[in-house]
Amino acid sequence: MKRIYFTALISLVLCICLYAEVDIYGYFEPQYTGIYTDENYYQFQSNKLRVDLKSTIVNNVEFGADVIYLLYFGATNWNILDFLPDQITSPIPLDQRALFQITYGDSFYLDNVYARLANYRFALTVGKQQISLGTGYFSNPTDVFNTKDALDPTYEQPGHNAIRLDAYLADRFGIMLMYTPVEWDWQNSGKLVRLKTGLGHFDISVLGYEFQHTTTDFYTFIQTQQRRRLLGADFVGEILGFGVWGEGCYNFMDDDDDNFFEFLIGTDYTFEGGLYTMFEYHHNSSGESDYPEYDLNDWMQFFTGETKTISQDQVYGLIQYPLTDFIMVGTSAIFSISDQSIALVPMVYYSIFENVELTLMFNLYIGEEGKVFSSSLGNGGLMRAQIYF
Amino acid sequence: MKIIKHKQVNQKPLVIWGNCCGGIVSKIISCSALFFVIAIPMCGQTEMTAEEIIQTMTETMNPKQSQGTMKMTIVTTSGEERTFEYETFSKDKGDKSLMKYLYPSRVKGQTILMLNDANDIWTFFPKTKRVRKLATHAKKQKLEGSDFSYEDMGASNEFIEEYNSVRLNDEKKEGRACYKLELTRKPESSAGYSRLVVWVDKEYLVPLMIDYYHDDDPELWEKQLILSEIQLIDGIYTPMKVVMYNKLDATHTSMEITDITYEVDLPDDLFTEMGMQK
Repeated sequence: MKRIYFTALISLVLCICLYAEVDIYGYFEPQYTGIYTDENYYQFQSNKLRVDLKSTIVNNVEFGADVIYLLYFGATNWNILDFLPDQITSPIPLDQRALFQITYGDSFYLDNVYARLANYRFALTVGKQQISLGTGYFSNPTDVFNTKDALDPTYEQPGHNAIRLDAYLADRFGIMLMYTPVEWDWQNSGKLVRLKTGLGHFDISVLGYEFQHTTTDFYTFIQTQQRRRLLGADFVGEILGFGVWGEGCYNFMDDDDDNFFEFLIGTDYTFEGGLYTMFEYHHNSSGESDYPEYDLNDWMQFFTGETKTISQDQVYGLIQYPLTDFIMVGTSAIFSISDQSIALVPMVYYSIFENVELTLMFNLYIGEEGKVFSSSLGNGGLMRAQIYF
Repeated sequence: MKIIKHKQVNQKPLVIWGNCCGGIVSKIISCSALFFVIAIPMCGQTEMTAEEIIQTMTETMNPKQSQGTMKMTIVTTSGEERTFEYETFSKDKGDKSLMKYLYPSRVKGQTILMLNDANDIWTFFPKTKRVRKLATHAKKQKLEGSDFSYEDMGASNEFIEEYNSVRLNDEKKEGRACYKLELTRKPESSAGYSRLVVWVDKEYLVPLMIDYYHDDDPELWEKQLILSEIQLIDGIYTPMKVVMYNKLDATHTSMEITDITYEVDLPDDLFTEMGMQK
């Protein structure tokens, strides 16, 4: 059913595009990543081409899609166990180690494909689309659709299949209803409601989301599913000239013992001259409070996005300064309070031409083996160019 | 000089060369509102006080509604140029404004919404479909690396609300008789400039030049804004070109109106989160 739905949607979009004026744009993104560990130096390259198509055939009706073509080079086979502490990996039988291998293969796929019916009062979007929730920068507790990379939190996220209705009901008051189908089974599919309003200089929203949550036991590779009901809220505004924001949620699971909550608060300020500073604190009650407690499931569920963090408490800091009109330098730091490890991420953005951006980013892990930001995870960096057309 | 639509009056364009509008420029850029001065001859008002001049200038420079497209060119110290084009909408005399980038591809579709005299700012990023609310300190940030900050682009009533004004000796700028005013930031204000000097055309009450002084040092000359190529559009005197010179970085950014009309009826719903994404 799902396949038929997507096939029909894609066919519709393509047919419409044939008869309507199509806006074509996108970017090409070569990227080189180098990682150095005690034993090895890994090189990993990718070439990504994203082509966006957008067409408005009738007033208020828009069709959009983007296709991504990804080619990988260099170290395309990785085994996660190579980067984990011995006390965690040693009990794993040799014949099971291959199960932890990740292979990056060339791929070509539709990242987003949707139809959107919208005016100034409401918007109905059907198809694979961008969904972003929450006000946090390096992590979003209320956003179960995306898992941000804390080292590169603003990088684009994949599309998600959903039927979404946004309605603007009154001045700074709106509602969002969203259905995220799972094999078109109403019971197992996700249902989300969000109300958003403005209060003075603040934007505030509350949301509820019910969906099927999957947990994998990486010792046995058995997956269990249970209903997860998320009740959350977020805000963004300003106090005494400082930007402030926050978001949090409580998660009711079928098994009450698995209930957990997450929240994040943040603040930022821009100094005269353009120096920008940001600070965020994130708490995840399902995380571990001390690193000797980390086990294989903690690590793997983090790597696969089943959980947002390994440790319970972390802070994030960011400083950016516009060195010239086109060069931005900065450093972010993520500190795990729970295990006292830290990752430093110096970065440089250079808008070298009108439609060309270069990014240079390093990651330096400072932590003992077994901690979230252990140096055994590998230090290194990446160079990325984005050429827009 | 671009061709402008909706010309209603074939009055000879008033070309202004010298230094002019400073504080006013801030509002001009973001909303287009600053660019538009209602043609109200001010003959016989040479004895106006500084407050009256600023009040009248602010009122005449903020048209009820406007819609246009603009071209912004950034010139760096090395002479390198960057060009951006965007569409602007403003309503309620600049209280609400929205700008949407049209060029280059890197920023196409990015939208900035400013309400309440730019005290509430939202940005929309089409690639991620994310709307982000900015705190007012973000007004100090440069707009796409230009010499204009968010603050320069918004805050239509800033001259009245954030500054105390004093009238200095009148001066001529490029042959035009001007009022010269000094605006000093009020102690409780969070405006990004400590002091402004404004030259206002006596006849049309259009700012011709504005000198901006540093946030921390009232003697440190930071920026200069010059408005020129004024034309009468839909009965409103409109500076078709504005150039901001950054005296500290030795860079400058020009903004040219390529199309403008004041005879529009923009819906309130345009100036909302959903309007940004439309």
